[in-house]
Amino acid sequence: MAKSQGTLIETDVLVIGGGAGGMIAALSAKRHGPPGTSVAVADSWMIGRTGHTAFSNAWMIVARPDDDIDGITREIVAGNDGIADQLLVRESLQNSYARIADFEAMGMKFPRAADGNYARRPTRGLDLARVMCPEGGGLEFCWRLRLALAEKGVKLLDRLFVTGLLGGPSGRIVGATAIHSRTGAFYVIKARATIVATNAITFRSGFVRDITGTGTLLAHHAGASLRNAEFSYVRPGTPKFYFEGITFAIQEGARFANAKGEAFMRAYEPDWADEADVPRIARAMAEEKKKGNDPLYLDMSPIPEDIREQFIHSKVKWMDYFFRKLGAEANTDMFGKTPYYALNQMTKMAIRTGPDCRSDVPGLLAAGLAQAGCANHFAGFHIGLGIGNGWVSGRSAVEDLDRLSVPQLNLPEIEAQHDEAVRPLAGAAKDESDRILRDLQAIMFAYDVGILKQADRLQEASRKVARLGEEFRGISAPHVHELVRLKETEAMLLAASFILGASLYRTESRLSHFREDFAARDDENWLVWVDIEPGGNAAAPTFKKTPIPTPLCPVTAQAVRPSRLKARASIGGV
Amino acid sequence: MTGDNLGRTMIENIELEKCTSCGICDDVCPADVIHMERSPGPARADGLVQFKLLPVIKFREHCITCFSCEIFCPEQIVDVHPSVKNRPRPW
Repeated sequence: MAKSQGTLIETDVLVIGGGAGGMIAALSAKRHGPPGTSVAVADSWMIGRTGHTAFSNAWMIVARPDDDIDGITREIVAGNDGIADQLLVRESLQNSYARIADFEAMGMKFPRAADGNYARRPTRGLDLARVMCPEGGGLEFCWRLRLALAEKGVKLLDRLFVTGLLGGPSGRIVGATAIHSRTGAFYVIKARATIVATNAITFRSGFVRDITGTGTLLAHHAGASLRNAEFSYVRPGTPKFYFEGITFAIQEGARFANAKGEAFMRAYEPDWADEADVPRIARAMAEEKKKGNDPLYLDMSPIPEDIREQFIHSKVKWMDYFFRKLGAEANTDMFGKTPYYALNQMTKMAIRTGPDCRSDVPGLLAAGLAQAGCANHFAGFHIGLGIGNGWVSGRSAVEDLDRLSVPQLNLPEIEAQHDEAVRPLAGAAKDESDRILRDLQAIMFAYDVGILKQADRLQEASRKVARLGEEFRGISAPHVHELVRLKETEAMLLAASFILGASLYRTESRLSHFREDFAARDDENWLVWVDIEPGGNAAAPTFKKTPIPTPLCPVTAQAVRPSRLKARASIGGV
Repeated sequence: MTGDNLGRTMIENIELEKCTSCGICDDVCPADVIHMERSPGPARADGLVQFKLLPVIKFREHCITCFSCEIFCPEQIVDVHPSVKNRPRPW
């Protein structure tokens, strides 16, 4: 390298993303690979202290061997309106109990009920599935995973922000380039198999706003197709405080109400009411907003006094700090009247793979929410599937090690990626990616674009995003902190154009994709994935229908999601 | 954008005089808000100045109010205010 200098790291398997999905992928590669298999995990920040799981309760869907696993698979597929990889869902469920044994061997503790079995709870939107979480929630869970990775000799590459995937001379993925997120130093990571596990695009709206999903877009640049961009996980929440536990508050009696005091959910979801899954709640909230019935509230007052403390003093450490420090205000806010919105947008756009988690590009795999296994994730299923596909991806990666040719680096490609990575530092120092992001959020979070969609509004939003993209081209970064944010914003701009494009393309309504101009679900034409295939050399990507295989359960209008609420009756007795 | 107009919100204060320079707050921050930087201590009688690594709240406007710095500080000298101000409102 004549112009630039960098550090070369070599590994058999590289995992990009240090959340739960990525760490499980790394553990799986170590478990399934022959002795001496080298595995590395890279993350922009500290592995085990970042990612979505670390800041959650870490509720995960876990099936006991004697559970009706085919039945749970069927209800998850139906709850996805068919947009699910059935084989991957079933395998994730089948493997889930064995993973708990792994986690316990790492020192994690899972509460047990009086009968000696694990204490599990129902989750909203599903009848048969049960969820459980480790003591100490996600912070403890992710830290134990990190310690286990270190013990097994996995190389932990903290603070490496991956800026490009390397195609090498052969077109297969041979690793990645990265910059150190503090110093800006350049790194080349040569790998025989690369697993992208960088979560979803969130437009920095969720609990954890460092989740930006950049790896998905890097995979697309490297030739991978994406899918499920028209679906999203927009959940109820308030910008005023974090509240991880709405599912269970509702099970204890909380109700969504509009400005007139009406509990509106039953009008939209007669069978499930407030216990409907998240996309249906978001849609009802948007409809109420459209009718002018906002502000909307989550009325927690029906929750009995004696169990309110459970919600204020969470088992999740950061939430406990939050509500303890908020003091008396917490009581007023949570049980009084705080406006709620449909927010926390986590888009479902992810990398297209088979049930083996291999993408279309040799040497490139996907895990966690960067893998397009499902278009809907019930509470506990984000992590449940992330553990499942993490496990599968690590196994597939080491199976590939002998099949793929020895990776060769392509120096001009590395030079080009280096120059592109640091280019914004060379411009006049301006600090505008935050402004671009705020404008992008305003476009994408509008209830009549992000939730209730219509062709003309989607087209107008696309034009606005394109204009923002033009503005973005002129900005630069005064320092490395801003460089990372700028790169993340760049990925989010591209993601926004894909989301709007896929939303226009799917001319029906399904799951979280509600088209006011195509209100009906259309299984005859749209029981398909919408795949976004790279156009190559700056050409626009193409949107394509891919039929969804149904090897386990047929998807018909009759086979709709579970319609009778059994969950409430079984609380505490699972 | 600066953190000056954010009011009482997000990471507020670190009691630097009690800080042992361990750097954990910087390590665990998932938003790159806290940077350990070389800071001059009080001038000694002989005129020499001793430098120490101390945490600087460098990008307060990007704090995500996750409390990690406060939770993991072994000296319990970090204070994050629970009010969340920089989160988008969709309507």
